[in-house]
Amino acid sequence: MDASPLTLHGLSVEGVNQCVHCGLCLAYCPTFSVLGTEMDSPRGRIFLVKSLAEGRMSLSDSTVRHLSLCLDCRACETVCPAGVPYGQLIEAAKAEIERQRPGGPVRRIFRWLNFGLLLGHPRLLALAASGARLYQASGLQRLARRSGLIRRLPGTLPAWDALLPTVPSKAERAAPPRLTPAEGPRRARVALLTGCVQSVVFGAHNRATARVLAKNGCDVVVPDGQGCCGALNAHGGDHARALAMARSTIDTFEAAGVEAVIVNTSGCGAHMKAYGHLLADDPAYAARAKRFVASVQDLAEFLAREPLRGPLSPVPLTCTYHDPCHVVHGQKIKSEPRQLLAQIPGLRLVELAESDWCCGSAGIYNLTQPEMATRLLHRKVGHVLATQAEALVTANPGCILQIQAGLSAHDAKVNVLHLVEILDRAYGGHGGSRR
Amino acid sequence: MPDALLDKLRATVGTQNVLTGVELSPYVIEGRTPEAAVFPGSVDEVAAVIGLAADAARPVTPWGGGTAASVGMPAAPAGLVLGLRRLSRLLEHEPGDLTASVEAGMTVEAFQTALRGRGQWVSLDPADARLATLGGVLATNASGPRRHLYGTARDLLIGVTVVTADGTVVRGGGKVVKNVAGYDLPKLFVGSYGTLGVIVEATVKLRPLPDHERLVCIPFERLKDAGAAVRALLASDLIPNAIELLDAPAGAALGAESPALVVGFDGLREQVDWQCAELNRLAVACGGQEGRPLPDGTWPRLETAARAAFPVVAAVMSFSVLPSQVADLMEQGAGGARARGLASAWAAHAGVGVVRAAVGSDVRPKEPSAIAAVLREWRELARAGGGHGTLEWAPLAVKSQVPVWDDPGAAVRIMERIKAQLDPRNILNPGRFVAGI
Amino acid sequence: MTLTASGKRDLRQELEAILGPGAVLSDPDELLVYESDGLTLFRALADFVVFPTSAEHVSAIVKLANREKLPFVARGAGTGLSGGCLPTEGGIVISLMRMNRVLEVDYDNQIAVVEPGLVNLHLSWKVGPRGYYYAPDPSSQQACTIGGNIANNSGGPHTLKYGVTTNHVLGLEVVMPDGEVVWLGGKTRDACGYDLAGVFVGSEGTFGIATKIVVRILKKPQAVKTVLAVFDEIDRASEAVSAVIGRGLVPAAMEMIDHLTIQAVEDAFGCGYPRDAAAALLIELDGLAVGMEAQAERIVAACRETGAREIRTARTESERLLLWKGRKSAFGAYGRISPAYMVMDGVIPRTKLPYVLHRVNEIVAAAGLRVGNVFHAGDGNLHPNLLYDPRKPGDEARVVAAGAEIMKVCAEVGGSISGEHGIGLEKSDFMPFIFSAADLAFMHRLKSAFNPTGLCNPGKIFPTKKSCGEVGPVAYRPHPIEEKGLAQRF
Repeated sequence: MDASPLTLHGLSVEGVNQCVHCGLCLAYCPTFSVLGTEMDSPRGRIFLVKSLAEGRMSLSDSTVRHLSLCLDCRACETVCPAGVPYGQLIEAAKAEIERQRPGGPVRRIFRWLNFGLLLGHPRLLALAASGARLYQASGLQRLARRSGLIRRLPGTLPAWDALLPTVPSKAERAAPPRLTPAEGPRRARVALLTGCVQSVVFGAHNRATARVLAKNGCDVVVPDGQGCCGALNAHGGDHARALAMARSTIDTFEAAGVEAVIVNTSGCGAHMKAYGHLLADDPAYAARAKRFVASVQDLAEFLAREPLRGPLSPVPLTCTYHDPCHVVHGQKIKSEPRQLLAQIPGLRLVELAESDWCCGSAGIYNLTQPEMATRLLHRKVGHVLATQAEALVTANPGCILQIQAGLSAHDAKVNVLHLVEILDRAYGGHGGSRR
Repeated sequence: MPDALLDKLRATVGTQNVLTGVELSPYVIEGRTPEAAVFPGSVDEVAAVIGLAADAARPVTPWGGGTAASVGMPAAPAGLVLGLRRLSRLLEHEPGDLTASVEAGMTVEAFQTALRGRGQWVSLDPADARLATLGGVLATNASGPRRHLYGTARDLLIGVTVVTADGTVVRGGGKVVKNVAGYDLPKLFVGSYGTLGVIVEATVKLRPLPDHERLVCIPFERLKDAGAAVRALLASDLIPNAIELLDAPAGAALGAESPALVVGFDGLREQVDWQCAELNRLAVACGGQEGRPLPDGTWPRLETAARAAFPVVAAVMSFSVLPSQVADLMEQGAGGARARGLASAWAAHAGVGVVRAAVGSDVRPKEPSAIAAVLREWRELARAGGGHGTLEWAPLAVKSQVPVWDDPGAAVRIMERIKAQLDPRNILNPGRFVAGI
Repeated sequence: MTLTASGKRDLRQELEAILGPGAVLSDPDELLVYESDGLTLFRALADFVVFPTSAEHVSAIVKLANREKLPFVARGAGTGLSGGCLPTEGGIVISLMRMNRVLEVDYDNQIAVVEPGLVNLHLSWKVGPRGYYYAPDPSSQQACTIGGNIANNSGGPHTLKYGVTTNHVLGLEVVMPDGEVVWLGGKTRDACGYDLAGVFVGSEGTFGIATKIVVRILKKPQAVKTVLAVFDEIDRASEAVSAVIGRGLVPAAMEMIDHLTIQAVEDAFGCGYPRDAAAALLIELDGLAVGMEAQAERIVAACRETGAREIRTARTESERLLLWKGRKSAFGAYGRISPAYMVMDGVIPRTKLPYVLHRVNEIVAAAGLRVGNVFHAGDGNLHPNLLYDPRKPGDEARVVAAGAEIMKVCAEVGGSISGEHGIGLEKSDFMPFIFSAADLAFMHRLKSAFNPTGLCNPGKIFPTKKSCGEVGPVAYRPHPIEEKGLAQRF
C-alpha cells in the first residue's frame, strides 16, 4: 500500500489514520444526531476524507454535500479518545472542495465580496456596516421583507437578510481606546483583538472587555491596523487568504509587545491558537506563530486564572450559559466562564441541556446551510426555554445573533448576553448592551 | 409397553432402575399412570433412554423431585417418566470463580448445603428445597422471595447440558459468568417445562453468603396502605432482598392477623440495622405498625403463604403483573371470590409483580364451574393490566374448564415453530405446555 | 443475488415509496461509509441503506426484501466489534438511527419503553434527573444503541454486579424475518410460554429486528466509592481479583488496565492513572452509604495483601468520572499509539487470569505485535487489544492468527470466545473451539424457527467451513482478508 503522506489541497490529512473507527464521536455530532446518516458523522466524514485522499473516490456531489454539512463545531474532537485532529481534516477537505467546485458566478462574487474584500479590509467592512445600517434604519429592509422581494433574491441571500443583525449606530460601533490603563495593582499588559464582524456589530463588547480587563489590573492596548484573523476564510475553504491574514495578524500583535492577546470571540480565539499548525510549513512564520499562539487567551480563560477583583455589585438574574463550540471544543474551555459567573453576587446559574451543542451559527453556516442551522437552532431554543432563565450568557457574536434570532422567533423574553456584558454590569458598567 | 422396550431400558440403566406396575404409584399424575419410570445414572444413559423412547414414539416426562409434576396438563398418552434423582453430583465448585456445575437431579437443599460450607450460595429459594431438584427448578422457572433482589433462574443459569428429543447431548452457554457465544440456550430451557429437552447438567452463578440476613413483618390494617408502603420502599434508597405482600388470610398463616408487609434485608449487620430502622419509619408513615422480626424459619414458608392459608385448596393461580398493580389485583381478586362465596388467600412478591392466590376448599367441595368462573375472572383482571395468569394447581375438572396457561399472543406461532424444530416427533412432555405444546 | 442496475433503480423507488424521501441511500460513495462497523478488519458493501422511523416501515422493508430474496441486516451506531452488522452478501442495511425515542418511562414500575436507535447513555440521561439509570454500560455507551446492545447482549464494567443486557430486558416488539410484527415478553417479569425475549437478546440480529424494547431502569445507588489499586506487576493485579472475590465481596465493577493502555488514555485525557504502573485495578463499590467504608476496607486489605503498591480513592465525583472516562475510552485511545488495533473478547474463569495473561503475552510476542490489556477483570472478560498497522504488509494476517491462538487458550481453560462483543463475522469460525457439531446443529434449528429463509443477517455466528459441522445451508465464503491473500484458514 502507498505509504506516502495523505494530503488534500496540499494540506496534510495524515490525521485520518488516527481514527480507529470506534464511533464514540457519533452521538456528539449535531448533524448525525439530527439525520442519523453516517456520512454526516465525524467518523463518516473522516472516512470520506480518507477515501478522497487515497483516491478511492472522487469528489462527487453527495460527498461535497456531506462534507459541507459539517458545522466544524469540533464537538467530536472533545470526545475523540484517539485524538483525531478533526478540525484540520475538515478544513483541508473544504479547501479541496473550493478548489474543485468554486460554484457559480453569483456565489463566487459573494465569496470574494465577503472573504476577499470585507473581512480583509476593516475600512470597507465599516463602510458596509454603514450601508447595512442605512438599509435597516431607512425602512428598506422592512419593505423588502414585506413586499416579498427578498425571497426572489438568488441563492442564500434571503437567509443573509434574515440573519443580518441590527447594525448599531456609528457611535456604538466605536472601538475601545488605544490604551485603557490598569486599575489597582498591575497584573499584565494585554492586547485586545477587536475582530472584524465583532467590531461592527458588537463594538460595545470590546469596550466592555477593555473595562473589565482594566478592573482586573490589565493595561489594555488595542493595536491599530488589526484585520480579520482569517477564521471565516479557513472554515470556508479559502486557504490562501487565511494564511495571509494569519501572517498579518501575527505582525500586528507582535508589534504591540504584550504578555497576552485577549480574544472575546470564540472562532477567532480557536483559530488563532491553530496558527502554529497553519503556518508550520512557512519558514518565516513557523516559530513566530508558535510564540504567538502561546500568548493567545480567551477572555474567560485569562480572567479565571485569578479571582475577580472586587468590588462586584449584584446582578440579580437567573442565567444559563451556552458554550460556543470554539470555546468549549476548539479551546477546551468549559469551567472558566461558569467559574466567573459564579463569582457575581445575586446571579443564579442554571445548567443548559446540551449546553456544548452548536446553535447552528457556526461562522457562516447559518447562511450556507440554513435548513440544518434552523433545526439546530430550534433544538437550542427549546433547551433555553426549558431552563426558564431570564438571560442566556455566551461568549461569541455568532451564537448571540443566532440564538437571539431563534428566541425572537419564539417571542421569548430571554436576553442574550456576552459574558463580558454581565461582568461589566457587575463592575457598574452599563453592560455594553446594544439596547 | 412392549416388553422388548422394557428389556432395552433395563439393559441400559439396570433392572433396579426401571419401575413398573404398583411401584409407579408416586408417578401417577391426575389419575394417569405412566408405563414405566426409568432412572438413568449418567448423561449417556439419559441419552440412550430418550433415544429408545423416541424410536418407540413413547412420550417422556422428565421428573426431578416431582414438586411441580401437576403443573400443566398431563400428557395424553401415558409414556415414560424419566427420573433424574441418580444424577445428583456436584460436578465442580471453584469458589474463586463464583460458579458451580451440578447434575440436574441434585436437590436444591443438598446443593446449598455443599455451597454453604465454602461461604457461598446460589440465590434461588424455591419452595420445597428439600425435594425440588435443580433441574426441575430450572425447567419450571421456580423462584422464591429473594428473587426480588437476585432475580430468577434465567439470571443465574450460565450453562446447560440437555439431552434433546432425538437423544443427542447438547451444550449451551458455558462455565464463565459472561458469555455471548452462540444462542442463549440457557434462556430457552429455563421455564420450558421439559418440552424442548431434558436438562441433565447446569452451571450457575453463585454469590458470597451475606454476613447477616433479617426478615421483618409489618402489619397493616388495610392492604391498600401496605401497597402504598411497597411503592415508597421501591422508590427509596433501601435495598431489600425480598418484599412480600400478604392479605389477612395469607398473613394469618405466618402469624399475622392482618394484611402484612414482610421485607428481607441482607448484608453487613450495620446495613441491615439501618435499613430495618428506615423501613419502620417509611412503613409507619403509610399506616403500618411497628415492624417485628420473623424467625429464619419463615423464609421457606413465604413462597407457599397463600396456599398454606387453607387446609385444603381448590386451586392455585399465579400472576405476573406490573408491581404497581399488585395490591389492586389482590383486593379485587379477593372481592370477586367473596362475591361468589369463595374464600381466597393472596400473597405476592410485590416488588416484581408476582402474585399467587389460592381458592380455599371447605368441607363441602365446590362446583368446578364455580371455581373456574372465579379463576377466569382473576385472569381477566391480570390481563387487563398487561399481565397474565397461570393456573398452577387445580383438579383436572377445573383445568378442563380454565386453560392452565395464558395466551402468549402472536408469539405462540414462534413457540410452535421452536417446538416443531427441536422436538419434531413431539415426545417431550407433549401437550403439557402453552398452547398445547 | 446480484441486482441489475434497473432492478436496483426499481427497488430504490419501492423503498422510497415506503419510507419517503431522504431515507434511502444507494450512491456508492455513501454506501462506502457503511462498509465497516467498529472493527475495520472486515468490510462489505450493501446495495441500500435505509432509514425507517417505525415498525411498520421496518416490516414493509423486510417484506420487500423477502419478495426479492434479498438479505437484510439491522444496524445501530455501528460501534460493534465483530462485524455483526455487515451486509456480507449485500442487500439492505436497515439503519435504526432514526428510531431513537424514549417512548415511555414508568417510574413506579421502574421500566422504560425505548426505540432501538436510542443511544444507551441517553436513556440514563433521560431518567437521571429522577434518580434512575439504565444499568448495562458498555464502554461505547456514549454512542452505541440499545438495539445494538440487544443484538449482542452487551455487557460493560458494571455487569459484574448488575448483569448484562438480557438481565434488564423484559420484552420486545420485533419485526420477524418474514415481516410480521410480534411482541416477545412484555412489561411484566415472568414470560408466558418460552422466554422468547431471553432467547432473542444476544441473537446478533439473526432472529429479527427489535423495534420497541422494554427495559428495567434502576434506582441510582445511594453511595458510590471508587478506588484505584496500583501494581508494579501484572500478576499481582490478577491475583488481587481472585482475592477480592474470595473475601466474599462482589464490587459493582472491577476493571484492569495495563501499562501500555495507561499510556494511551493518559495521552488522551490525562485521567489520573499512574504512568509508571504495570497495571491498575479500577474497583467500584456502590449501594448503601452505611457499610461502604467497611466494605472498602476489605477490598483495600485484599489488594494490599496481594501486593498493591498504592491504593487511591477518587475524592470527588469529577475525579471518579475522569477515571471512568479513561477506562471507557481506552479502545479509541489506542489510536494515539497505533494506527489500528483489533480488540479480542474472551472470557476465562477468574482464577485462570494470571496463567492466561502470560499466554496472551507469549502469543503476541511471538507474532511480533504489541498488546494492550484493558478488561473486566472481575468477570474474567479479557480484552487483549492487538496493535498493528494496516499499511504494513502481513500485519493484519498476524493479528488474525494471534487472535485465534488467544481464543484457543480461552477455550482450553474452560472459557468462552466472546463475553460481550458477539461472534458476528469475526469469530464464526472459532465457534467449534467451544461448541460441538451437535451443539451448533441444535442452534441452527433454533435459528430456523425464527429465520427459516436465512435472509435476516446471513453469514454470522455459524462457522463457514463445512468440516466444522454440517450446520445448514451456510455456504463457505472467504473472509475479505483471506481473499487478499493476507490470511489463511486454520
